[in-house]
Amino acid sequence: MSETLTQNEHAIDPALAKIAHVTDADHPEAGDVAIQNYTINFGPQHPAAHGVLRLVMELDGEIVERIDPHVGLLHRGTEKLIEYKTYAQAIPYFDRLDYCSPLCMEHSFVLAIEKLLDLEVPVRAQYLRVFFAELTRICNHMLNLGSHVMDVGAMTPNLWLFEIREDCMGFLERASGARMHHNYLRPGGVHQDVPLKLLTDIGDWLDTRLPRLFEDAISLVADNRIFKQRNVDIATVSREDAIAWGFSGPMIRAAGVPWDLRKSQPYDVYAKMDFEVPVGTRGDCYDRFMVRVEEVRQSARIMRQCLNEMPEGPIASLDRKVVPPKRAEMKSSMEALIHHFKLYTEGYHVPAGEVYVATESPKGEFGVYLVSDGSNKPYRCKIRPTAFSHLQAMDFMSRGHMLADTTAILGAMDIVFGECDR
Amino acid sequence: MRAPAPAWAASLNEATIEAARGAIGAALTDAVEVAGEVQLHVTRDGLVAAMTALRDTPGLEYQQLMEIAGVDYPDRAERFEVVYCLLSLTRNHRLHVHVPATEDAAVPSVTGLWPVAGWLEREVYDMFGVLFAGNRDLRRILTDYGFRGHPFRKDFPLTGYTELRYSEEQKRVVYEPVKLAQDFRTFDFMSPWEGAEYVLPGDEKAKLPEAKGAPSPVTATEVQKADAAQAAKAAPEAPSQPYAKKDAQSTAQTGAGRSESEGAPKPADPDVVPTKGQGQNQ
Amino acid sequence: MGVELAHQPSGQGVIAPDQAFFDGLNGELTDKGFLVTSTEELFQWARTGSLWWMTFGLACCAVEMIHVNMPRYDMERFGAAPRASPRQSDVMIVAGTLCNKMAPALRRVYDQMSEPKYVISMGSCANGGGYYHYSYSVVRGCDRIVPVDIYVPGCPPTAEALLYGVMQLQRKIRRAGSIER
Repeated sequence: MSETLTQNEHAIDPALAKIAHVTDADHPEAGDVAIQNYTINFGPQHPAAHGVLRLVMELDGEIVERIDPHVGLLHRGTEKLIEYKTYAQAIPYFDRLDYCSPLCMEHSFVLAIEKLLDLEVPVRAQYLRVFFAELTRICNHMLNLGSHVMDVGAMTPNLWLFEIREDCMGFLERASGARMHHNYLRPGGVHQDVPLKLLTDIGDWLDTRLPRLFEDAISLVADNRIFKQRNVDIATVSREDAIAWGFSGPMIRAAGVPWDLRKSQPYDVYAKMDFEVPVGTRGDCYDRFMVRVEEVRQSARIMRQCLNEMPEGPIASLDRKVVPPKRAEMKSSMEALIHHFKLYTEGYHVPAGEVYVATESPKGEFGVYLVSDGSNKPYRCKIRPTAFSHLQAMDFMSRGHMLADTTAILGAMDIVFGECDR
Repeated sequence: MRAPAPAWAASLNEATIEAARGAIGAALTDAVEVAGEVQLHVTRDGLVAAMTALRDTPGLEYQQLMEIAGVDYPDRAERFEVVYCLLSLTRNHRLHVHVPATEDAAVPSVTGLWPVAGWLEREVYDMFGVLFAGNRDLRRILTDYGFRGHPFRKDFPLTGYTELRYSEEQKRVVYEPVKLAQDFRTFDFMSPWEGAEYVLPGDEKAKLPEAKGAPSPVTATEVQKADAAQAAKAAPEAPSQPYAKKDAQSTAQTGAGRSESEGAPKPADPDVVPTKGQGQNQ
Repeated sequence: MGVELAHQPSGQGVIAPDQAFFDGLNGELTDKGFLVTSTEELFQWARTGSLWWMTFGLACCAVEMIHVNMPRYDMERFGAAPRASPRQSDVMIVAGTLCNKMAPALRRVYDQMSEPKYVISMGSCANGGGYYHYSYSVVRGCDRIVPVDIYVPGCPPTAEALLYGVMQLQRKIRRAGSIER
C-alpha cells in the first residue's frame, strides 16, 4: 500500500533512531530497539479509497491502532441547494448523492413528498419503481462486489461484473434517457412509461446473461482460498454493536439481524413481493460480501415477479396539481397547458409538516427528513446517508487488524462519498 | 394514508405517545402526531434521561438512533431545533424527538447511549453551530479545513463568502471573496396582483411625470456626424489582431499560438480544416 | 443501446486502413532495417500512444471513468492505462465535483506529475461547477486550480464521450506538440 500524498513528519525521527539502533533513554534494555507508533495518511486520492476518503491511521508496525476518517472532501452543500430549489428541481440532486444507485436515492425523496402530499400512486407506477429500484440494486452491487474483490487482489471478476453494469445502465438509459442520473421517479409515479420491448429484453437478460456472468464471476472468488483469507474473520461486528452504531442494510444483516426495510416496512409494492432476506452468521467482511451476492439473486427474483404481475394502467397520478399532463393533452386542452406551465415554473406546494422517510437503498437505510413550510420549496431537507454511521465504525472495526485489511473493510462497507458527504 | 410510504407500525402512534408521557414525565413538553409520525418535544435538560427511557423502557424500545437533523427557525426565540430520529427494530416503529437549542445553550450529548451520535452531533455542530455538551470530539466534519461560519443557517448565503483559486504568484491555492459571473436567480412566483411587495422592473416609469412637449427633430448634419463617429468606432484597431490577446495560462494556448505566428506548416490532420482567419478554434 | 449479444459489422462507415502505406512502411523496414522519421513526430507518436492517466475520481463522473476502462469501452486499446500514482501518469482526468476541501490536494497531485502533463476536465461540475455552481463549498470549475486541456461536457459524460475526449487530447498533442512545449 502506498500513501500518495503526505507522510507524517513524526515518522522520520523514530525511523532514524531505529536505523541507528538508539534505544529509549528511559528504559535502556540490552539489544532492544525502541519502537514508536507512527501515523500515515491514506488518501484523499487513493484508488482503494473508493472516492475521496482520507484516513489518518496510527500504526504499530502493520497493526492499526487507531483510524480517524476525514470526510467532507466531497461536501457539495446539497441540502442547502435543495432549500433553494423547487421540489421538482431537487430530485436530480438525489441522483448525484449515491451515484452508484441513483434511482434508490430518488425513491426516498419522492416517497417523502408523497407522504406529505398524501398522494396516491397508480399500481403500475409502483411496480415500475420497484422494478427499476431492484435493477439499480443489482447495478450497485456489481460495482461494490467488483471493487471489493479488486481491493483484495482479484482482477477478473470485476471485469465481468462491470459487463453486467453496462447492461443495467443500458436498460436504465432506455427507460429514462440517461445512463447514470436518471431523474426517473416523480412524486405521483414515474416520468414516462417503458416500452414492452424493454421489459421483454430485461426478462431475457435476467434469465440468460445475468446468471451466466454473475455466477461465473462469483464462483471465482466465493470459495477462493485467498479471498477467504483476506475476508473471513476480518472486522467482526456483533449484533449489539451493529445496532448501537446505527448500522443498516447489508451491514446489519451480515451481523445477524434480519432487518430489511423492504420486508419490515414495505413501501410501494414490496409488500406483495416474495423474496428472502439473507442474513450473515459471523458479521465479518466475508458475510457482508455474501449477503450482497445473495441480494443480487433475490433482486433478480423480485424483478421477475414484477414482470409477471405488472398491470397496465397510468404511470403517474392523475392529480393535475402535482403531476404535469401529457404533451398530447396539452395540444388540445387549455387547462392542461396552464397546469404544465405552473408545474414547471412554480411547482407544487407541499403542505406544511415534517416526515422522516427511509427506504432500503442498496447500501442500507437511506432516509430523508423533510420539513415543509407549505411553500414550493423544501424548508429543510436532511439526508440520512448510510455511509455516515458505517464509516464512523471504521475505527473500532479495523482496530487490531493489519494495514492491508483496511481496504477489505472499506470495500465491504460499500461507501460512496457523494452520499456520505452530500 | 394513501401514499405508498414505508408502512411501519403507525397504528402504535397513540399508544406510543401515552407510553412516552409516562416514561419521560415532566421533561416532555409536547407530544403530537404530524403526517402520521410521532413528534416528542423534550426540554434540553431532560434529553438524556428521556432518550434513556425511550431506549430502555419495555414497550418503547427504540434501539437505534438513525439520524440527528438540525433545523434553523430564525424567528423563534430558541432558533435551532435538533431532531433525533429513532427506530425500534422490535416494535417496527419510528419517532422523532425534538429539542430546542440556541448558539449558547449546549445540548447534552447522547454519545453515551448511542456511539453513532458522535459524528451526527459533529455534523449538526458543523452546519448550525449547536454545541453538544459531553461530545468529546466536537470538531468540524464536512466543511473545509479552517472554514468559518455555519453554512446551513438560514442567514448564511448559498454561495458562501470565499472561493478558491490557484495563485501563480504564491504557488498555492488561495481564498478570495466570492465573485460570481452571474447571480443565482430565485423567483418567488408571487402574482403582482395578489401580494408581491416590490415594483416589477419597468413599472417604476409609470410613476414618473411625462415630459412636456415633443422632442425636437434632428437635422441632417447631426445624422451625418453621428454616422461618422460610429464608423470610426467600429473599425478594428489593427487588422492583424482582431481579438484581444488573453493571458495564456493553459498549455493549449501557448503551443497553438506559437506554431501559427511562425508560419510553420501544420501537421496534416483530416479533422482540422485550416481557415484563413484566426478564429478561436485555431 | 441495449443488450447486443452478437455484433454485426455493417460494411459502410468503416474506413479501411491504407494498405499501400503499410506495405511501403513494411518494405522500407525489411529493406533497410530501420525507419527514418523526425524527432517531432517520434515524440508525438510516443506521447499520444501511451497516455497514462491519473485516476482522479471525485464524484459521479468517476463511475463513468471506470466504465471507460472496463471491457465494453476498453480505453487501453488507445494506450491509455490508469495509474494510481501521479509520478507515472501523463494526463489527469478530473472526474467529478471539485470541492474546496479537495482543491489543495488536486493541485498537489498535479504538481507531482511529470512534464509533459495534460488535464482533462470531465463533467459539468469540473468544467464550471455545473449543478453545484452556486454552492458555498464547490470550486466553480477545476480550471481555477489547474490548467485544463480538454473539457468533456455532460452530467456525467457517457463513457463514449470521455473516450472521445481522450482522442481529442491525442489530436491536440499531435497538432500542438513541440519538444520544449
